[in-house]
Amino acid sequence: MDAPLLAIENLRTYFYSRAKRAFIRSVDGVSLEVARGETLGIVGESGSGKSVTALSAAGLVTAGPGVISGRIDLYSNGARRNLLDGLENYARVTERDGRVMEVEKDERGWRKRSETLMAGVRGKEIAMIFQNPRSALNPYSTIGKQLMETIRLHTKFKGESEAKERAIHWLERVRIDSPRLRFDNFPFGMSGGMCQRAMIAMALSAEPSLLIADEPTTGLDATIQSRIVDLLAELKAETGITTLLISHDISVIQRLSDRIAVMYGGTVVETGRAAEVLAPEAKVRHPYTTALLASIPSAETIRRKSYLQAIEGEVLDTIEVPRGCRFYGRCNRVTEAIRENCAGREPPLGEVATGHKVRCWLYPATGKA
Amino acid sequence: MSRTILEVTDLRKEYSQRRGLISMLTGQGRVIPAVDGVSFYLRENETVGLVGESGCGKTTIGRTVLRLTDPSSGRVVFDGRDITTLSRAELRPLRREMQMIFQDLDAGLNPKMRVRDILREALTVHERPSDAEIASRIRELLEQVSLKDSKLANFPSELSGGEKRRVGIARVLAVRPRLIVADEPTSALDISIQAQVVNLLRDLQKELGLTYLFISHDLPVVELVSQKVAVMYLGRIVEMGLAENIAHQPRHPYTGILWSSLADKQTTEVNRRVNDVTVERERRTWGVFDFEQPVSGCRFAPRCPLYQDKGRPAVCTDPASEPQLRDVGHGHVVACHFA
Repeated sequence: MDAPLLAIENLRTYFYSRAKRAFIRSVDGVSLEVARGETLGIVGESGSGKSVTALSAAGLVTAGPGVISGRIDLYSNGARRNLLDGLENYARVTERDGRVMEVEKDERGWRKRSETLMAGVRGKEIAMIFQNPRSALNPYSTIGKQLMETIRLHTKFKGESEAKERAIHWLERVRIDSPRLRFDNFPFGMSGGMCQRAMIAMALSAEPSLLIADEPTTGLDATIQSRIVDLLAELKAETGITTLLISHDISVIQRLSDRIAVMYGGTVVETGRAAEVLAPEAKVRHPYTTALLASIPSAETIRRKSYLQAIEGEVLDTIEVPRGCRFYGRCNRVTEAIRENCAGREPPLGEVATGHKVRCWLYPATGKA
Repeated sequence: MSRTILEVTDLRKEYSQRRGLISMLTGQGRVIPAVDGVSFYLRENETVGLVGESGCGKTTIGRTVLRLTDPSSGRVVFDGRDITTLSRAELRPLRREMQMIFQDLDAGLNPKMRVRDILREALTVHERPSDAEIASRIRELLEQVSLKDSKLANFPSELSGGEKRRVGIARVLAVRPRLIVADEPTSALDISIQAQVVNLLRDLQKELGLTYLFISHDLPVVELVSQKVAVMYLGRIVEMGLAENIAHQPRHPYTGILWSSLADKQTTEVNRRVNDVTVERERRTWGVFDFEQPVSGCRFAPRCPLYQDKGRPAVCTDPASEPQLRDVGHGHVVACHFA
């Protein structure tokens, strides 16, 4: 792989759930790399930790206790910056039997340090688009003004008129019709799809090195969804921007990603080239990924009107680290030969082929890793 | 052939929107035709899927069919009885035969009641069963929706999304309905849980002989569960027919776009090519609903690729000739001049 742009190493982000009176290990030791120019798609169900991973990278986790440890290296302008540098000193975690008992955290110190680290990074180096575009836009300001603000803040176009031209240029690039008219529109006067386009324009107008797209199509209509996916694919081809794409929708991930990471219970259970991992004939694949793919009605299922292969049980909430594999309770591929391992030890992320890693005892490579 | 359980004829539902001082004072506001002349029927033990983008009126149809909202005009006949003009008291005994599953997982689940009490309440709304009967019915319901006994003591907030959905379904089944309007029953759930619920709904249909009006924007699921599918655009049905025909041999350009938007995404080859076709198609179809513009001719024309390809024929925008549903064989109906 080329030199990474972003490298996440052993990231841990916890939250406290009042309803469950316990700490949730939302992200529990995630390591990922995004190479320059590639799109890494993170797929998983709700609670798998995919969004929290992205938010941690953007320094946007504000609820406590939040980011606990790990490092997030951003390589830009020839330098390496650890976005979590020194932050682990502000938090101390007490664990007992795989359960987080207490987190002591100096919130103010942590926040101050984090702001220092993120200054000049968030918005400039790392831009983000969210699930609900309308709520991410300022309802009191026109689309054009908001775009100009970003452009004047982050790029060399500081003057009023050149920033405006630049803003219109970006509205055009995200294929908004009559950009000069739309420039003066308020978010409420625009459809969801248009708002998302405006958001994308805003994110890209800062000319960031990394774009984080968190569920960019969720909540939009089917036809609009595929238009937004088309747009993202086109912009990717035009600008070659590095993207971290988060979605629960495998088809979106499939369309846009070069590589994918499948997350379950706060960990990455499989990563590899998208074409390889999602290929219908793939032999080596994590049972969870297989089950996820089977949950979507295939042409075959529809034709035969047969049952969907549902994953039994519920999505794991990671209060306790299970002793074995996190997917053990729902897995349908546990064999007698490996049962002891599955129930007793968490499998490491083992390389099953070049660049393809699976966290499962089914594959011998796991044992060696 | 099984008999018709629900027949909807020329159903209309208009919402008036009054904004601003002048329209408030004059009493004249914009009238939004959420459902604009829709007719269809459901046969017993059959599933009809209703698809379309948000705002096309599919939920309004579901609600009007059950008289949760009153139609502006048109007729709804349930099991041979015209229910459009029935009073609330007359409707009451019919309510138990027609139920709705809402998109919202928390709908109908009182947060201050335990699952046991929620089910008990549903069982005693229309009847006065003995305690022993209630207990056995609750056991039966739990079995039908595969929910563990231990969940009975839980409050809704202690349940997962899938469990909430199961309790919601059990609550609906408690009154032994014949027709269920399922409004986006899976869209609030995780993918793996969606599959469980779809399987459950299909099982229940077989077991209990239920009839479903299945409203969803999830096209593969609709195609899987439905015998017939109706495609809606801007308050009207633009195409209706057997599920496999709608999905694989659509006649209306809108249906084509709906399903192709999906097919594009499901191609196994990761397609990253940018070609003029996608850009062109993009330009044509970004348009959105606009109720403010009066409809003249076909309401899909402004977004229609066929309209462009045919060189913008006048008939498409002729106010006098809005395309009507016409039979193109095998009960497949489509509202397009060129289908």
